[in-house]
Amino acid sequence: MLGKVCSLILIAFILTISSNEVLFAEPASIHGFVEAAYGPKFSGDKLTQKNDYNFLEERLQLKVDYRPQKPAWLASWNPEVFFKGDLLSDEYKETVRYQVREAYGLGSPLSWMDVKLGRQILTWGTGDYLFINDVFPKDYESFFIGRDDEYLKAPSDAGKFSIYNHLVSMDAVVIPSFTPDVSFRGDRLSFYDNFLGRIAGKESDRIFTEPAVQFKNTEIATRLYRNLGEYETAIYAFKGFFNQPVGIKNESTKEVFYPKLAVFGASIRGPAPSVGGIASGEIGYYDSLQDRSGDNRLIENSGMKYLLGYERDFQKDLRIGMQYFVEQMLNFDEFKVNSQPGDIPRDEFRQLLTFRITKFFWLQTLEASLFTFYSPTNSDAYIRPRLAWQANDRWKLTVGANIFFGKHDWTEFGQLEGNDNFYIRLRYSF
Amino acid sequence: MKKILSVSIIVFILFVSGFLAKNVYAEDTQSGKAAMSEMLLAYYYPQTDAKSEISMRIVNRQGQVRERRLTMLRLNQTPGGDQFYYIYFHEPADVKGMSFLVLKHVGRDDDRWLYLPAIDLVKRIATSDKRTSFAGSDFTYEDVSGRALDDDAHELIGEENLGTHPCLVVRSTPKRPGEAEFSYRKFWIDKTTHLSLKVEHYDLKGKLYKVYETQEIQTIQGTPTITKAVMRDIENERYTEITMKNVSYNAGLTSDIFQERLLRRAPRQWIGE
Repeated sequence: MLGKVCSLILIAFILTISSNEVLFAEPASIHGFVEAAYGPKFSGDKLTQKNDYNFLEERLQLKVDYRPQKPAWLASWNPEVFFKGDLLSDEYKETVRYQVREAYGLGSPLSWMDVKLGRQILTWGTGDYLFINDVFPKDYESFFIGRDDEYLKAPSDAGKFSIYNHLVSMDAVVIPSFTPDVSFRGDRLSFYDNFLGRIAGKESDRIFTEPAVQFKNTEIATRLYRNLGEYETAIYAFKGFFNQPVGIKNESTKEVFYPKLAVFGASIRGPAPSVGGIASGEIGYYDSLQDRSGDNRLIENSGMKYLLGYERDFQKDLRIGMQYFVEQMLNFDEFKVNSQPGDIPRDEFRQLLTFRITKFFWLQTLEASLFTFYSPTNSDAYIRPRLAWQANDRWKLTVGANIFFGKHDWTEFGQLEGNDNFYIRLRYSF
Repeated sequence: MKKILSVSIIVFILFVSGFLAKNVYAEDTQSGKAAMSEMLLAYYYPQTDAKSEISMRIVNRQGQVRERRLTMLRLNQTPGGDQFYYIYFHEPADVKGMSFLVLKHVGRDDDRWLYLPAIDLVKRIATSDKRTSFAGSDFTYEDVSGRALDDDAHELIGEENLGTHPCLVVRSTPKRPGEAEFSYRKFWIDKTTHLSLKVEHYDLKGKLYKVYETQEIQTIQGTPTITKAVMRDIENERYTEITMKNVSYNAGLTSDIFQERLLRRAPRQWIGE
């Protein structure tokens, strides 16, 4: 198995290197890494596909950056072609797969305009591991098992049009084919399955229905932003779908779907007056378009989301960050009236606090960090301690853990209690 | 009576000498400050803008080497005043494509952003502590973009030849104790180029622990420019060598490019590969 994987990796590597030399007489560069990772579970429930660990994998990532110089009309757009793909040998799933993370062309048809077409990672907003107006797909499975932070963001196949102006700049993102979050399905992470009414693993048999690839299902996300003095301000609008399956199509067949969603929001970020450090605030109105009145118990209600953040640095490479996040369910009375026994109980205001502490040692070659989520309303918590050691410019060793606490089985972090793990990753970059 | 007279004479002498000494000291601080101000202008503010490719070799006690390669763009808003910096990392591989945007302010904290291309994230960075190591090297952020003139009291303590270069020797002491990890620094400032050729850092116990030395100066577009220097950490027996290549002044940078776009889309015409 491992021998096969190694030879595959080698072949892919040689192919890419050699094709680079033949095809790209013009400036191109190849970089990437190989990584081995192992995440044994503490003890946990015995519900998932494998009992002893929730990931064991080897990965080869290759990035190719190419800037065509011909023809002349194209060269004047300052074009760039970028490709990044991962060859993943996943021992947990017992598969070898190739994942294209990014594959886009980027150019400036006008001096004040950039166009980026293709598979890309999209990020905006002010949160640290918390998202309001960043409506782009996330891979929470990767996040909760301890892959690199890079994998929390899942790619979108999209066109991004950016217009720059000293008064106000704008991004418009068009996503023709919906991409959902990578979330819990029970095979790798056990979770609370509301159809079964308990924590479930691989026996969970929900059926997911994604919106069809149709013109009317095209998602559009926009951001208008400008700086006011040292403060960055932005307003956002989105029309598309929830990235999580928060709608039930058919209870008896356990069919879930991604309801229509519009989001309107705003954010501000800048220096905190007098105390120093960076403060930020973000707000978003989630308009659940298929259940605006809130009386359909099978579809998520509309809501408001609020986020306050603060980060500051101290002497000797110490950094501390805090966030306060509130999710308010709108039409809460309808929710209560229409709830049935067995439905997951919810609060009108769900509160979440996060705390991050990071410190570097040995001339920034050793990074120790701890990120904590705690929800006083859900009575659950999630802690992410991590140590990353950069042995030299090429080798990096990361160890960490994912630990969940919860009073109830159905809360965001409480449902993951059986998935506590420790992980180790060794990476060679080139 | 005699006693009173002698006492008053002593008081008078003390007063006068104190006055004179104070005057001399005032003159010294004034020329110290002037020399430091000239140094800051010559080192951090030459011409209106600059582009340079910077290589760093960080060598630790065991002789292990780490290398950084980056491109830096700089634009002055006013000489000696606010500045824009853009830094793009080419190497090592794991940080390739990462970039910094810094709006340096005189009199308040800088605005600093970091861009992480793998997650397309523009992150605002808190900058209260400017004494943080720059990219894991022996240089601090303040060494790279300059320490505010008024953060220290500067005193001209003498003149000395460093090799063939006649230098002014200035002692700079932080005005707010505890804010920096040094109790004072000693600068050897070249009288002709106004560039500092050597800087000694003394810790809070008064012990020398860090030494900066200029190793090469080239005149580029009529501007004397430090192209090679080293910062040695004596206490930890390690050092960082910094080399500047392809320096060009007045490249035509404008303030409107120092925005979020620069982070999300690296300016290839200036940074190259």
